[in-house]
Amino acid sequence: MVLVLALGDIHVPQRAADLPPKFKSMLVPGKIQHILCTGNLSIKEIHDYLKTICPDLHIVRGEFDEDARYPDTKTLSIGQFKLGLCHGHQVIPWGDLDSLAMLQRQLDVDILVTGHTHQFTAYKHEGGVVINPGSATGAYSTINQDVNPSFVLMDIDGLRVVVYVYELIDGEVKVDKIDFKKASSTSAP
Amino acid sequence: MVRKKVPEWLNSTMWSTPPPPSSLNDDALLLRNSPSSTKMSSMKKETDTISVTPPPSTASSVPSPSPRPRRNGSSSISGEYGNSSSSVVAPSSAEDFSRQAHLSAELSKKVINMKELRSLASQSLPDSPGIRSTVWKLLLGYLPPERSLWSSELKQKRSQYKHYKDELLTSPSEITWRLVRSKGLDNYELKSGSRCMLSRSRITDEDHPLSLGKASAWNTYFQDIETIEQIDKDVKRTHPDIPFFSAESSFARSNQESMKNILLVFAKLNQGIRYVQGMNEILAPIFYVFRNDPDEDSSSHAEADAFFCFVELLSGFRDFYCQQLDNSVVGIRSAITRLSQLVRKHDEELWRHLEITTKVNPQFYAFRWITLLLTQEFSFFDCLHIWDALLSDPEGPLESLLGICCAMLVLVRRRLIAGDFTSNMKLLQHYPTTNISHLLYVANKLRSKMLV
Repeated sequence: MVLVLALGDIHVPQRAADLPPKFKSMLVPGKIQHILCTGNLSIKEIHDYLKTICPDLHIVRGEFDEDARYPDTKTLSIGQFKLGLCHGHQVIPWGDLDSLAMLQRQLDVDILVTGHTHQFTAYKHEGGVVINPGSATGAYSTINQDVNPSFVLMDIDGLRVVVYVYELIDGEVKVDKIDFKKASSTSAP
Repeated sequence: MVRKKVPEWLNSTMWSTPPPPSSLNDDALLLRNSPSSTKMSSMKKETDTISVTPPPSTASSVPSPSPRPRRNGSSSISGEYGNSSSSVVAPSSAEDFSRQAHLSAELSKKVINMKELRSLASQSLPDSPGIRSTVWKLLLGYLPPERSLWSSELKQKRSQYKHYKDELLTSPSEITWRLVRSKGLDNYELKSGSRCMLSRSRITDEDHPLSLGKASAWNTYFQDIETIEQIDKDVKRTHPDIPFFSAESSFARSNQESMKNILLVFAKLNQGIRYVQGMNEILAPIFYVFRNDPDEDSSSHAEADAFFCFVELLSGFRDFYCQQLDNSVVGIRSAITRLSQLVRKHDEELWRHLEITTKVNPQFYAFRWITLLLTQEFSFFDCLHIWDALLSDPEGPLESLLGICCAMLVLVRRRLIAGDFTSNMKLLQHYPTTNISHLLYVANKLRSKMLV
């Protein structure tokens, strides 16, 4: 039962002051085992804040990140799943499913977490699942002005994943759930 | 204020030195006649009440009888001398055989005479496999005295435990997935070929991992994590010298798992006291005895049986674990005071020396003795014998416990009186190895004195 937090596109301080207080009150340390951050934090203070929620933090570089040392893509294994992380501004057209599927095949992962569009989506295709947690602060993007703050929490338990989507709509936190599972893998991990 | 004179029998040498590893020829230890005659006397285990006669040297003004008529109690004591220090040796004397036969006879009756069983158990049970397990279950009220009801009772209790486990120990993930399966939505396969947007379902009942709501299974799960960690740490530390608990084998690991489950279910069912450090020590003997029962059925259900017996045993002592009740009439402080009064009553000189002269506050040593039911003071197998006596008390283990604690003090009185604060504390906190049946005998004697 591993809890993985996926969020990104925070854009502090350029486009937003901070994460919504309702989100911050829920993100308490001790519950989450991993954080996957799609990038665009953009400053070190947000990095430190995320570190306090969970020490196992994975970040990839977004185009506005001040720290240039973050990698472009990252892959890791959690439980029976392989997860991939990429900001998404490199994938053109932005948010296009086919191109993202290509990236996913390239990284050879079951779940690809990507951002940049500031819009939550969850797609399934032959190669796996693509999840976009949206923007945790609701910052505007070049393609979308009206953004609801959102992030994603995945509960990976063996071969099953439950994805909880937290969205701030009209000042209230709404939680949605998506479940999927993986057939037992034939290849050795 | 009249100073009560210490009775002669109490001051005699036999109480003060820890008995050497039992030799039946040691006259100083035997309370009765010569060793050779004991075997004879044991043969005639009649229904006469014991009259304990001290060695001929002391006066006959000594208070003698114990009002509790014991059928073969007298013979069994001398028999025990040969055996109590070795735990798993087959009975080597005639008395033990007879006691065991008596017990087995008692246990195989259709309706068990509880009073009889209690008096037999108070002498401490033989170590032969299976007996202790059944007797403890009877003494703790887990099994009813009517043998015919056993199978239905056991079935019901065991299924109840399983129900508790299912309800309380499933992880929230598991709960979520069961819900999903029951609604028939369990059909998203990762690589099944089609392309689509994954459909979302709104959660309205507050149950997500970050929920802070009181009714949320996730929230309770995270709050319990601290308890779970504490239980885990304590179980791993239980009896590191006994392979049953701490070996690297999968058997030991499964035992630890079972113990953790029991303690966790207990903690969750009793939100008032939850888990307190030390409960693992009280569970350990119970679980050990049940798990080592040669009967397949009992051994495999040891976890469920141990849970209920643990609850039953703890019910008498619950108030000791609640901090608010510390100073109340039922709390631990009052129990310690009672012990102190008991010592004062039986041995004023010792009491005076301990509490007033050397200022050894009984709380320093008796706290652990009482709350952990003496599991930390003696070796594990000696504890089993002591617990036989504790559990057999019809008034509840606490009375016997206080009696045994008093006896423990009286037995080392010579060293205590000669010692100062430091040496006394050291002695009492690391109580020397004692002949257990001797200890139990003294405890019984003191107790019967009280009733005279």
